[in-house]
Amino acid sequence: MTSHTTLHADIAALLPRLRRFARSLTFNRDDGDDLVQGALERALGHSGQYQAGTRLDSWMFRIIKNAWIDEIRSRGRREQMFAPEEAGAHVGDDFAEAHQQRLAIQKAMSLLSEDHRIVIALVLVDGLPYKEAADVLEIPMGTLTSRLARAREALQGLLSDQARTVA
Amino acid sequence: MSFSDETLMAFADGELDDITKHEVELAMRLDPQLAARVRQHQALRSNVFNAFAPTLDEAVPQRLQAAARSGKVVHLNTVRAARNVPPPLVTAPAPRKRSWTWLEWGAMAATLVAGVFGGIIGSQAFSGNGAMVGIDNDGGSLVARGELANSLSQQLASAAPPGAAVRIGVSFVSKDGVYCRSFTLPNTGGLACRDSSVWRIPVMAATEGGGGEYRQAGSSMPAAVLEAVDARITGKALDANAERNARQQGWKR
Repeated sequence: MTSHTTLHADIAALLPRLRRFARSLTFNRDDGDDLVQGALERALGHSGQYQAGTRLDSWMFRIIKNAWIDEIRSRGRREQMFAPEEAGAHVGDDFAEAHQQRLAIQKAMSLLSEDHRIVIALVLVDGLPYKEAADVLEIPMGTLTSRLARAREALQGLLSDQARTVA
Repeated sequence: MSFSDETLMAFADGELDDITKHEVELAMRLDPQLAARVRQHQALRSNVFNAFAPTLDEAVPQRLQAAARSGKVVHLNTVRAARNVPPPLVTAPAPRKRSWTWLEWGAMAATLVAGVFGGIIGSQAFSGNGAMVGIDNDGGSLVARGELANSLSQQLASAAPPGAAVRIGVSFVSKDGVYCRSFTLPNTGGLACRDSSVWRIPVMAATEGGGGEYRQAGSSMPAAVLEAVDARITGKALDANAERNARQQGWKR
């Protein structure tokens, strides 16, 4: 049986990954951190629901995912949230190129459907194995892999469009 | 040898078994086009990963550290949700001294039938959820009743009200051309498919490690149910809009 103190410490250790996951859904530092904070409250308020021995990261991701879906639904149609950070800074060096590429990816991800963005966030951003990602989403493996394939295709399409526009 | 795009994607994600992985590696050496497709999957994976990697190096804000470490993060909503945690669905009957009526014997027989059906797929599946599942009048199959039936008809996936006992997983059109929805109850997961005005339940099983605790925020679907979904699903799972439309049509197709 995991004691509360251990659970809290284990969740605290996951915070960098949880923030990264939330950031890849919201694209905004404050929105992402708000999402994580809300999920922490849900998780610790229902810590009895966590089954010791199961993956804590999957459990937390599932709570963040559910909180995010609730947030979007309560917001109605999701407003355009993508806010490019200081674009154009450090122009002309390698850092700028990498930075521009990061922005391009984030921009393309912001245009995906929620289902697609979430599956990309779990598998490509966090690197969860398919089985764990399917578990977070509570869908069968077959559904996970076909959804992931479509999400990748959509993302690749958006990136190719961007590249064409820039060129 | 030709490989589906999903196989190449799984290769890039390190998800293939050793034999298939070896076959893909071999094919990549022989087929430059296939190699290019694999490289595209690999590049997308690493680019997306890199786009968000810097977040890991940021200092975690104090407010999140405090929220994670403190046991005292109690918000009104949390308190409210905790207060609404549903009571056990079936409470132990009060001890009876008088002899049973035929009605009670009938009810017990029905419970035994449910137990037999449940035993096929998981002996724990029905304990505690009796009010939500019944035997069809024809006597042939299990149907959703009460809160489960209502939730299957009304609730959108992932939008369970706080404290809800029923959570809907995935909704899809089955190979038989009807709507099916997976669901979880405390300690139990199942699949329900629409048949005119009822939800029939072809599969129901105990969630892994279910030990009497409510765990809807983190419950996972039993493997038997996931397999049943995989065996029935055609096309993709319904998104929120498609679910809303289906609900509006009374889940008729």
